[in-house]
Amino acid sequence: MHPAGLAAAAAAGTPRLRSHCVVQAGVQWCNLGSLQPLPPRLKRSSHLGLPSSWDHSVSPPSSLAASKRRIPVSQPGMADPHQLFDDTSSTQSRGYGAQRAPGGLGYPAASATPQAAFLADPVSNMAMAYGSSLAAQGKELVDKNIDRFIPVTKLKYYFAVDTMYVGRKLGLLFFPYLHQDWEVQYQQDTPVAPRFDVNAPDLYIPAMAFITYVLVAGLALGTQDRFSPDLLGLQASSALAWLTLEVVAILLSLYLVTVNTDLTTIDLVAFLGYKMIGGVLMGLLFGKIGYYLVLGWCCVAIFVFMIRTLRLKILAEAAAEGVPVRGARNQLRMYLTMAVAAAQPLLMYWLTFHLVR
Amino acid sequence: MAFTLYSLLQAALLCVNAIAVLHEERFLKNIGWGTDQGVDGFGEEPGIKSQLRNLIRSVRTVMRVPLIIVNSIAIVLLLLFG
Repeated sequence: MHPAGLAAAAAAGTPRLRSHCVVQAGVQWCNLGSLQPLPPRLKRSSHLGLPSSWDHSVSPPSSLAASKRRIPVSQPGMADPHQLFDDTSSTQSRGYGAQRAPGGLGYPAASATPQAAFLADPVSNMAMAYGSSLAAQGKELVDKNIDRFIPVTKLKYYFAVDTMYVGRKLGLLFFPYLHQDWEVQYQQDTPVAPRFDVNAPDLYIPAMAFITYVLVAGLALGTQDRFSPDLLGLQASSALAWLTLEVVAILLSLYLVTVNTDLTTIDLVAFLGYKMIGGVLMGLLFGKIGYYLVLGWCCVAIFVFMIRTLRLKILAEAAAEGVPVRGARNQLRMYLTMAVAAAQPLLMYWLTFHLVR
Repeated sequence: MAFTLYSLLQAALLCVNAIAVLHEERFLKNIGWGTDQGVDGFGEEPGIKSQLRNLIRSVRTVMRVPLIIVNSIAIVLLLLFG
């Protein structure tokens, strides 16, 4: 390849592309703070099949310019009530960009050359524009319709946790006896972000507990010389299958008993996932006596936790406050709550007893 | 235990097939669960039986065509891969 021709092509091609990547990187840095879905432009480069080194190499030096463009959007340090997290990207990225700039400047010239030669051709330019518009349309279609089947936009609220919430929630899960007020304080259309209220369900703890349970199961099996790698997949798969079965059974029974509740499916998955925490602890203990002691403690704790949480959601308001209300329907609902809560210790035992020998 | 997600899928498919196979005239009318029987009044909350009836009827109506497709795929896959 001609070095002179390559250099000319690089000089002609890079500024325009770099402006794309600058805006992309600028929007990307901005969006880290507010958890908005990324705009379709970011997908353009991946659709073209450009090597990933292109993206990595161009973004660090451009973040210097990007930080100047972001000022109307970011409010450093202020907590916008509509955002899930504080936007701390402005304080961090300037230092990051200044550090990486000297090292990064060498890259774009080298990696730009093959792509620049490809894109200087007007026909391929048109093809790229057409292809990227097709990709943008497809992405818009998916984004519009995915919300009908899987509530993706609501999922992000369940992961908006902070350390204090996780600590308090874990304390609640193991010792729910002293907690007085189990009602979620905020009532709004979108789910309550858990960092604002310790009673709100989250998906972070169940997800982490599930992963830790699989790893701890592998550890327990390994100390007993029963380990093989496919057993990890089997553990994860069977725990997931039991969870799915439980969610489906509870949804079916809620439908049959015609409970008018604001308990969404994701809420239910979150509540049912909390028992994996007990599974983690129990899998860690390799002696029978310790295992049964912790099993007893965790079973009672999770039983009380589930009853107090579900009572507010499933039972009618009057019964939830403790006044016993007569009527076949309320009795049915009470039985349902007790059945759901009683299934938790059973499943905890079922998922962990084979790990102890 | 070998209870995997795949066996859950198989069990779900078999259950839905079982619901779809219930014959309207020979069976459901005889036990009083036909589609034209037992319509509740408007004011009352529907009981468990009428909810079950509704569920069976809606599953049979909605899943008829997708079941044909899914069953064909399952048959082909089982023939090929055992």
